[in-house]
Amino acid sequence: MSPLIDIRNITKTYTDSLVPTHALKGATFAIESGEFIAIMGPSGSGKSTLLHILSFLDRQSTGTYRFNAKSIDEYTDDDLAYIRNKKMGFVFQSFNLLPRATVYDNVRLPLLYSNIPEKEWRQRAEEAIDAVGLAHRMRHDSSALSGGEKQRAAIARAIVCSPDVIFADEPTGNLDSKSGQVVMEIIQNLNKDGKTIILITHETYTAEYAERIIKMFDGAVESDKKVAKRRTNTKAFFK
Amino acid sequence: MMKLQYIVITSFNALRMNMMRSLLTILGIVIGIAAVTLVMSVSEGARDLIIGRFQDVGSRTIAIEPGREPQGPTDFVEIFTDSLKDRELMAILDKGNVPTLEFAYPQVVVPGAVSFEGETFRGTNIGSSYLIQEIFDLKIEEGAFFDESDISQRAHVAVIGSNVRQELFGFSDSIGKTIKIKDRSFKIIGVLEKKGNVLFLNADDLIIVPYSTAQEYLLGVNHYNGIIGRAVSEEVLDETVFNITATLRELHNITDPVKDDFHVNTQEGAAETVGTITGVLAALLSSVAAISLVVGGIGIMNIMLVSVTERTKEIGLRKAVGATNKDLLTQFLMEAVGLTVAGGVIGIFVGTTLSFILSVVLSRTLNLDWPFSFPINAAALGFFVSAAVGLVFGLYPARKAARKSPIEALRYE
Repeated sequence: MSPLIDIRNITKTYTDSLVPTHALKGATFAIESGEFIAIMGPSGSGKSTLLHILSFLDRQSTGTYRFNAKSIDEYTDDDLAYIRNKKMGFVFQSFNLLPRATVYDNVRLPLLYSNIPEKEWRQRAEEAIDAVGLAHRMRHDSSALSGGEKQRAAIARAIVCSPDVIFADEPTGNLDSKSGQVVMEIIQNLNKDGKTIILITHETYTAEYAERIIKMFDGAVESDKKVAKRRTNTKAFFK
Repeated sequence: MMKLQYIVITSFNALRMNMMRSLLTILGIVIGIAAVTLVMSVSEGARDLIIGRFQDVGSRTIAIEPGREPQGPTDFVEIFTDSLKDRELMAILDKGNVPTLEFAYPQVVVPGAVSFEGETFRGTNIGSSYLIQEIFDLKIEEGAFFDESDISQRAHVAVIGSNVRQELFGFSDSIGKTIKIKDRSFKIIGVLEKKGNVLFLNADDLIIVPYSTAQEYLLGVNHYNGIIGRAVSEEVLDETVFNITATLRELHNITDPVKDDFHVNTQEGAAETVGTITGVLAALLSSVAAISLVVGGIGIMNIMLVSVTERTKEIGLRKAVGATNKDLLTQFLMEAVGLTVAGGVIGIFVGTTLSFILSVVLSRTLNLDWPFSFPINAAALGFFVSAAVGLVFGLYPARKAARKSPIEALRYE
């Protein structure tokens, strides 16, 4: 079976302000369905650019990217929007919740753009909120939540359409260590339920939740290794 | 594609979050639509009022006046031409020429006051025929109207309106008394019932004498100021007008209609003219008011651009979770249209209210029966125009939102 994600010699060059910036200089790797990958690297190493390309938010300059064995070049912008909605979930460092909207409304947002029947919306949103342990906060305004709760709401939003892949861009970056741990355990549990996780982090501690770490440096893959001693679920959250 | 219902809810929520800003933004639209509604409503009222007056004289009435139809202010001078005389009256009364004319009579206007034993009254002195009763629906309260023999004998008799009687005689009897017009004595033989305004003329102020008497003894002329007639039915009105015109042109050897020395009016024609004039006026005033709609539209565009920039992150997020460019275009377009339509609805309400107040004030102060009706045309127009303003001025900001790159948008701080 072909891998879920297969990139070969991906480059990305920004030509803003006349000086071309080579954000990616040829990255090649494959990710199987159900894997938990951490992409690490210092700032400027091209890890965010890589994530944007992998998550269809941007297109590569050269190279090939196959998602589900189909090249990204074969998809129209509307197809990409559909796949982002249906097969991908996003967790951002700065949460990106809609202000002045409830947790429920935030989690329901991707459903509005989906072809999932309306009668399933409530149940799906409630299940997703329940899965991150925010059932008691469902009707609260998102701005009234703590940082950890905001990120859990964002995870609920990421999983509400039952995606295959979850992209998490520094999900613990704005959180204290305790909240960060809770968030990482939720993400690890999603992986156990069969979701492919692609995590961007610069913290080794956080990266060790993954089973494989891809290290980026200066726009290229520096190393791609299995994690020898993987961090296990401490059940801090589910206690 | 997101369901329209949710796009509407999403847009509405966004507007509600910025309530004060939304209200201030739509002020221009409110003023513009209110002004257009007011102008259209008031001009409709004016037209109905004037046309209502024309209908007082009946739809079969035909007025033939000397001079060609006034095309501009200078043409009014031609009213003083003497192109209508007995010869013209006889020609149109000839059934061979105008078979569908029920009757016709001449009319002359006599300037000046009437007096009785030192009391004077400025009314409207006209030389006419007993047939005027048919046209103006006049009824005799006391005495009788003069008849055909009075006309042919140039009798010095008069029929007066109720105001004339009241002013000159008070409560004493007037029948048989002698009044003076231009130093000539006329015996009152009839008093009219109270009638009020007919075609901008107060019938109660009338002093009617035989036209033949007025021509010979009061004016010393042999022409008429007009000939009034009536078609046998409404269906043959146009035919009657056509035949009268043809008869008079033939009589006067006129081949070029521009050289007409008379014109034929009907109530319908006059109403049409009034309708055209009020319509042009309304269009002119409305277009002035519409300028504020353009200004309002630019205000909407400005605030939508601000909103798109402010919500860059939201746009990025929506794109990340699966919104297409079309979804975002529709969302921001709906916001703009929501704003302008809300402005339009408020404007229609304000304009209608002002128009109602104005109709009450005009009725009271000018003692007119100014009609007020809900300006349904203006309301419909205002609604669609406000929606169109939203679409036009919302398109650019909405396209800007739709075309934002998701990663740029997500990175935006």
